[in-house]
Amino acid sequence: MSSALTEVRRPAEAPAPKQVVRGKKPPGLKKARTFYLFVAPWIIGFVTLTVFPLGYAFWLSLTDSDGLSPRTHFVGFDNYMEIFRDPLTLSSLGKTGLFALVTVPLSILAGLLLAVMLNQPIRGRGLLRGLIYLPAVVPPVGAALTFRLIFDRDAGAANGILSGLGGSPITWLVDPNVRYVLYALVLWGCGGAMIISLAGLQDIPRELLEAAQVDGASYWQTFTRITVPLLSPVILFQVITGVIGSLQSFAPLLLSSGSLSGAGAVPQGNYMYMIHVFAQYFSASRFGYASAMLWLLFAVILLVTLVIIKVSARTVFYTVEPEGKK
Amino acid sequence: MTTTNPGLSRRRFLALGGAVAGSAAGGALAVGCSPASSTNTPVATGTGSAAKGAVTVMSQAGEFGPKEAKAASQALGLTVKTVEYDLTKLTAMLASGNPPDVVRGMGATETPYLVARQVAENLDPYFEKSSLIKADDIDPVNDVWRYDGQKQGSGPRYGFAKDYSQDCTLWYNGALFDAAKVTRPSATTPLLLDELLDEGKRLVKRQGAKVSVYGLNPNGLGLFGQLTWMTDLAGGKLTADDLASVDFSSPEAQRALTWYLEYAKAGIGPTVLNPDPNGWDGPTFQAGRMAATLSGYWLGGLFAGDAKSAKVAGFAPAPQFDTGRRVSPCFGATGLWMPKAGKNKDAAWAVMEWFLAGDPAKARAAGGWGIPPLKSLQKLMPQKLPYQKQAYDVQMAEKEHFSVTSYTPYARQDAINAVITRELPKAIKGAMPVGQFADTLNDQINAQLADGKKRLR
Repeated sequence: MSSALTEVRRPAEAPAPKQVVRGKKPPGLKKARTFYLFVAPWIIGFVTLTVFPLGYAFWLSLTDSDGLSPRTHFVGFDNYMEIFRDPLTLSSLGKTGLFALVTVPLSILAGLLLAVMLNQPIRGRGLLRGLIYLPAVVPPVGAALTFRLIFDRDAGAANGILSGLGGSPITWLVDPNVRYVLYALVLWGCGGAMIISLAGLQDIPRELLEAAQVDGASYWQTFTRITVPLLSPVILFQVITGVIGSLQSFAPLLLSSGSLSGAGAVPQGNYMYMIHVFAQYFSASRFGYASAMLWLLFAVILLVTLVIIKVSARTVFYTVEPEGKK
Repeated sequence: MTTTNPGLSRRRFLALGGAVAGSAAGGALAVGCSPASSTNTPVATGTGSAAKGAVTVMSQAGEFGPKEAKAASQALGLTVKTVEYDLTKLTAMLASGNPPDVVRGMGATETPYLVARQVAENLDPYFEKSSLIKADDIDPVNDVWRYDGQKQGSGPRYGFAKDYSQDCTLWYNGALFDAAKVTRPSATTPLLLDELLDEGKRLVKRQGAKVSVYGLNPNGLGLFGQLTWMTDLAGGKLTADDLASVDFSSPEAQRALTWYLEYAKAGIGPTVLNPDPNGWDGPTFQAGRMAATLSGYWLGGLFAGDAKSAKVAGFAPAPQFDTGRRVSPCFGATGLWMPKAGKNKDAAWAVMEWFLAGDPAKARAAGGWGIPPLKSLQKLMPQKLPYQKQAYDVQMAEKEHFSVTSYTPYARQDAINAVITRELPKAIKGAMPVGQFADTLNDQINAQLADGKKRLR
């Protein structure tokens, strides 16, 4: 007979393993198989269309491949070293950085301004929103070609208007004016930024704005102390995607200026990094070097994005923190 | 590490890979799915009647499109498919070892480049046995498709023109000449380039500072070609005998550069600083906005269906300098070639032969869009309309002045033209004197050629 004091507690028994019935698959394995079956198309696509091309492009960047010749030589990191000796590569990278520096803030500010205006209860704002957003849905190729026609020196509408006003025609599509045409093209498409900012504005709790009004805050104070901080995650998103997009700009540069015959005819003002990459690939047939240039661009974009995220940690206000704390 | 065999692991790896995208720049390298054939020994079949199987032709829809593919299939009993010509796609298909069987190309500028990279098939065995193409019927212009490893114009044939032009011959708008009181160009005596430039200055029409009628467009198919030709006219040579360097500093090349810069500074026609928004001369000429253009015979095909242009169009020999040297080159000779790694060469040849010398060739000859590559077909060139008859007579006389210009195998023409175009604005604006312009071109183009030569080691 054992008392409670002397009772030896036996460790809790581990649950008996579930018996696998012969011929029946364990439910976990079945679930895993189903999962992998469903995600297989994505995995196959990711491996064949992303991982493999990236690996191949990296391999190419270590060769002197011209894309045609079966004679391809391994050159190690020579292509990467050449990037830093090639003045055209460095100058085109500088121009691209400047382009991003000008166009990203400009288009975000323009979008924000339009969003604030069209967030007011004005008559016909739906129509106005639609009209301003319209250019953003025009394919970039169409937009670029349209701008090319508008700013043509002899037959373009811009010079037609100038002449009508008694002014002299301007050669818009060559240096140095060509970059202003490009900035205009970017600003023309700021309806996209407007829509994103508008969505952000409409997500701001009305109580906060009303409370500020009750407290006697001016419109400017409300805008800078409440609206902008609450919009800061949206602005950060626009900055990051805008910078990435600007650094990769290609079709508008190629099509809106110069000759349609290829990258070589793009004026110097618009001769940016991706144009140079294109010229190296398809005019010069330097597949190895151009691939190395793209890997460099990837590194630059990654670095810039990390810097933006790091810097934004102090300025971006999240209503919900990643840990879930308010 | 050097790979020399198309069937080595990289290509097999590629072939297994399915699809490849090289970059976000559009350097995409989509690949096919079968390794290169190892059966590369040509077996000529004459008319190609014995050929079987499927043939893929990479060309432009307006030249060899689905309609032509259907006709070829019916005529030859083959399955003929077309792929729209695209350099990216061609590169990808070649890289995967699964190239098209027949490819469109510009013989004048591409042959040495393709041959040096061991991409193009030697077609001599096929020509020898052809029943439609006889050696003595081949127009000399087809020699631009020949390359012996050192010089263009001799050695094996690697392709064949579908039609051609002597690209510096002159089309002019007679009505604009008359209105400007400028004598129309002679049909027999070539204009001097300096006279042509002066006439261009008289023919240009401006509304304020806007050019409403271009006086002259001498840009041709690319500035390197034009400058090579003008240097030749001046009695010099732009490209060295080994095709590995250029010299823009010679007096003859300087003369060519000076002439072009004078044209560009005069603002009488399209330049890199004032490009023609139409992108090519056809619509501008038809709109009565171009007085003279060095465009070659083929442009005349456009006027056959345009009574207004047909009425005013005139054709004249290629101009020359006052050296007495007369050269009338061809920078295109667009035609077809066959990749070495193609899998069905006999059938591919049957299609080529049919398209280049069979019924389609006869139809093209009558269309007026270029000169047929076979002498026997040249009598079919259109001569019904007055402008057609005049152009035919001028063109037939002009043939005597054709000679093959050797292009370098070490760089694409696009790449060389890109250097010229990039540096030209500074020279036109006067920020760079002609001597310095020449030195800059020498430095950059020669570096490019040296790099290309190194890669062919």
